[in-house]
Amino acid sequence: MSQKPSRRRFARAAAAVLIGACCSGAAAAQSPPPLVRILAEELDRNFRALKEADPAPYYMAYEVTEREAGAASATLGALKSSDRARTRSLDITIRLGSPKLDNYHRIAGERVDFTSAAPLPLDDNEAAVRQRVWLETNRVYRAAAARLVRIRTSQKVNVKEADSSNDFSIEPPQTHFEQPAPFLFNAEEIAARVRKWSAAFDKFPALVTSGVALAAQRETKYFVDTDGARLEHGRGFAGIIVNAAAKAADGMDLYSGETLDGDSVAGLPKDEAVFAAIDRVGSDVSGLLRAPVVDPFVGPAILSGKAAAVLFHEIFGHRVEGHRQKDESEGQTFTASVGAPVLPDFLSVIFDPTRRVFNGLPLNGYYTYDDEGVKAQPVTVVDKGILKSFLMSRSPIKGFDHSNGHGRRQPGLEPVSRQSNLFVESSRQVTEAQLRDMLLAEIKKQGKPYGLYFREVTGGFTTTARAGLQAFKVIPIVVYRVYPDGRPDELVRGADIVGTPLASFSKIVAVADRPEVFNGYCGAESGSVPVSAVSPAILVSEIEIEKKAKSDDRPPLLAAPPAGVVK
Amino acid sequence: MMRCVALLLAAACAAPAQSGDVILRAMRDEMERSRALRIVSLEAPYFIEYQLEDAENFNASASLGALVNSNRVRLRVPRIVVRVGDYQLDNTNYVGTDYYGGTRWDTSQFPLDDSYNVLRRYLWLGTDTAFKAALEAYSRKRAILGNVNAAQELPDFWKAPPVEVIRNGSPKPVDEAQWTGRLRRLSSIFLDYPAVTSSAVEFQAGQSIQYIANSEGTRVRVPENVFEVRARATALAPDGMMLHDAVAFDAPDADRLPAGAGIERGIRELAANLSALAAAPAGDSYTGPVLFEGTAGAQILAELLGRNLAASRRPVLPPGRTLPFAPGELEGRVGSRILPEWMDVVDDPLQTEWRGHALFGHYEVDMEGVVPKPLTLVEKGVLKNLLLTRQPVNGFSASNGHARLPGAFGARTAAIGNLFVSASESVPAAALKAKLIELCRRRNKPYGMLVRKMDFPSSATIAEARGLLAASQSAGGRPVSSPVLVYRVYQDGREELVRGLRFRGLDTRSLKDILAASTEQYAFDFLDNTAPFALTGGAAFVSEASVVAPAILIDDLEMDRAEQAFEKPPLVPPPPRDAKAAAVR
Repeated sequence: MSQKPSRRRFARAAAAVLIGACCSGAAAAQSPPPLVRILAEELDRNFRALKEADPAPYYMAYEVTEREAGAASATLGALKSSDRARTRSLDITIRLGSPKLDNYHRIAGERVDFTSAAPLPLDDNEAAVRQRVWLETNRVYRAAAARLVRIRTSQKVNVKEADSSNDFSIEPPQTHFEQPAPFLFNAEEIAARVRKWSAAFDKFPALVTSGVALAAQRETKYFVDTDGARLEHGRGFAGIIVNAAAKAADGMDLYSGETLDGDSVAGLPKDEAVFAAIDRVGSDVSGLLRAPVVDPFVGPAILSGKAAAVLFHEIFGHRVEGHRQKDESEGQTFTASVGAPVLPDFLSVIFDPTRRVFNGLPLNGYYTYDDEGVKAQPVTVVDKGILKSFLMSRSPIKGFDHSNGHGRRQPGLEPVSRQSNLFVESSRQVTEAQLRDMLLAEIKKQGKPYGLYFREVTGGFTTTARAGLQAFKVIPIVVYRVYPDGRPDELVRGADIVGTPLASFSKIVAVADRPEVFNGYCGAESGSVPVSAVSPAILVSEIEIEKKAKSDDRPPLLAAPPAGVVK
Repeated sequence: MMRCVALLLAAACAAPAQSGDVILRAMRDEMERSRALRIVSLEAPYFIEYQLEDAENFNASASLGALVNSNRVRLRVPRIVVRVGDYQLDNTNYVGTDYYGGTRWDTSQFPLDDSYNVLRRYLWLGTDTAFKAALEAYSRKRAILGNVNAAQELPDFWKAPPVEVIRNGSPKPVDEAQWTGRLRRLSSIFLDYPAVTSSAVEFQAGQSIQYIANSEGTRVRVPENVFEVRARATALAPDGMMLHDAVAFDAPDADRLPAGAGIERGIRELAANLSALAAAPAGDSYTGPVLFEGTAGAQILAELLGRNLAASRRPVLPPGRTLPFAPGELEGRVGSRILPEWMDVVDDPLQTEWRGHALFGHYEVDMEGVVPKPLTLVEKGVLKNLLLTRQPVNGFSASNGHARLPGAFGARTAAIGNLFVSASESVPAAALKAKLIELCRRRNKPYGMLVRKMDFPSSATIAEARGLLAASQSAGGRPVSSPVLVYRVYQDGREELVRGLRFRGLDTRSLKDILAASTEQYAFDFLDNTAPFALTGGAAFVSEASVVAPAILIDDLEMDRAEQAFEKPPLVPPPPRDAKAAAVR
């Protein structure tokens, strides 16, 4: 390296020190990026003009989500897709009236949706950006004004709501400018990698389809509001998705998949880990083809860390989302339980969006600011079995006046309180071997022919509304029967876990000592948001499984075409 | 030019080792193996067809000098057809043809690499699903036909002679940086027109190769390219009326798009017209002669004839079930007069050029592997033919090669290629306006109406199009596009632009009232689709079309004002368009 560049580097470092020295609080001294400045100017201009209108706004915010993404997928060594995209979308919040009663006021079961993720120019071109922002502000203002009129009328004719807390909480405005790491995605190199990986599925002839995909993304968010918040923040995501599918002779569709996460392409696991995942997925699906179909069953079971994590996300996480406590169409399982025991006394549940990695694995639910401009913070929701708090957005509920940084959304939808990184912690831990011994003892005690071990799950869903069943379902992929007489575990297929939330918590008997991470995307009112759940394996004294719905068409009628015939 | 000249010679001069070889070979081999498909006691396929659209698309758009999106996609979209039964009675033309309850393997996009083995695997899975779906539909359809009191007289599928059309050519690289730069410059033109509230300039380069192989022996490999620069803009009249217009430049090749100056002129014209429209008075109801000047004649003929010349067929329905189905206005009118006796209409997809103008609607072979020929649709005003696919319809016996868009219930949708409308009696264009004035004078009308541009293909938003559709249906008519540039022509020849008018009851019957046509002919290229008004973005598939037609004067048309409540103009004035942004140009 020549001398010149190093001198220049030194010079820049010196300047930074000077800035740090003259204005204590170095981050605040950083000047806003051009887009934040343009948005702030247009926000100020619109807010001042609309202040004269009736109804007048008391709060406005613009959030821009910029995404740079790249993805490629392959099957059996052939490239299936290769895409690059860059988008910017604008979400606008306009609150009319007052924090006590505004156009976002909850009406049972009604979904508010003013914003639209309007596409915004990719260039920081002032005239172009401002024109788009101006038109979209006008559209949102009209919709907001119309709803406020309707709410004021319904207030006069409807009974008083049980929770009369405000519609909006005032939070300290944040200022922070930090660009996420640059997005590096070499499409050709990545195409070569997915081709190479996917060819490894060749050794599983029983599979009907298989594939490996690599998807990476950089998400940058820009946020400005009329209280003075000015933000630029974001993060990278990357994942290798391995999947395979086949069809049993009885028509049941069988599949398995794994995702290997990283925060960037460079941070993804090495080839060996991908090949190992391909081997697991390939052998799991091939094994499932030969596995017997389960019968409905109630009995003891071990849920692996990942399976337990999904279970907690579904049956617990969704029921502590703050806004549900205020919506009178919701089941409100825990609304009146603050200070009361809701889980076994050895369990705590913490949501912590500020945790970036866990045991070297990136956590999908990590962020620094939420979509309402509030700083992310850890929340202990259950402490030693006692319910302490809810996940809060800027929509206050009785007893909780402020946000704890969990107002999240997918662009185009209104933020509500959502999960981040869920951690299940236990004050009583056993090793996984001890947990298995406890399962065997429990099987014998209950006089059951076998117990179950849920190794991999693909996700789940739950209903929290009163009108529906207060139930949940978790979809396992890899399930074993565990026999008390020393026979090897037996892979089975076609099971879904089903249950009701309150009954399920009381069945947790013991917790292991090795937490596992389940990274995923959670879908709810405010769309799909990245989340994680971290839990050790758990032993439950009773779990119910039911037969999975299945299709009844046959596997492909002709054998697969001969492979390797021609070049 | 590397293209082969004659169809029969094609195979001989096909390049020995090109990418299409692997695709066509995989198609042939897997199709051969698929003949063995049968489930005990059920039917085997009698017809299999594989199509693959191997596409490389680049799209970008810019607004007021800034790039809004830019994306490049490569994809291979297959279409796999399996028919069981026989040509007389099969699984298609039945309302449940496309329904399948079983597992659909993810074969909606084929791998991009020319891997023979993987291509065959995808064809294998796609064929399996299509076959099972066909069996299901076939048995349900037969059960229904056994229960209803109407035998199916028409066959389900027409035979077509096998063809081999193999053409070289592959996508050319598109200079993305150059195009995004051009779009930024072109879109900044709108900075000079403050009355325009929103605007965009878009570019799409769609380059694809179509592959077809069927069990009758047809083999096709033809490049199909679409290049389009399109500008669209909206403006607000003082009463809140939203006005929109668009201008598009289409060509089968990037080199045949107009030069930069031509496109810039078109965009300036669009912006100026829209600004003038926003300031123009709202029009009043009118009944009388209307002159469609310049390409407006081709536009209205494209819409009225193009749409209604396509033959269609009502599917078999379970007893008691109904399906909204409106046959084209011209169906059943073959042999009747639909135009003045001095007018003829021919569709000729084989033409590539008209007076130096590249015809956008040119194609060599249609979606079903049928080679089109020049087709006389109207002769001396009398309807002679309809646009046909391989779906049998009454009164005809074979496809004429116009299957251009996907259709429903196993069929394709027919559409025009290059539609030539000619008049054996005509007058110079300028005389048409004199004739309009003369008619008005004779009938004591203060003014006549002149249309210079129709909103076809429509640049309306989905919501606007829906409103227009509802309005035309409640008035009992068929939807027809609205005029964008409409002028009152006073007796002294003065023209006055008016806004917000639409046609009432304008349909193919009105074409009998064409009073005169111009000697000058005008070519109009557009991207056709199956949505009402060929609404841009209104349907997933498009077909390239050209219409060459004279200006026309039609008598006794009704126009009235679109009655609707307008949203108030924005409370906040528009943001400044500062000098910094303008300086980017």
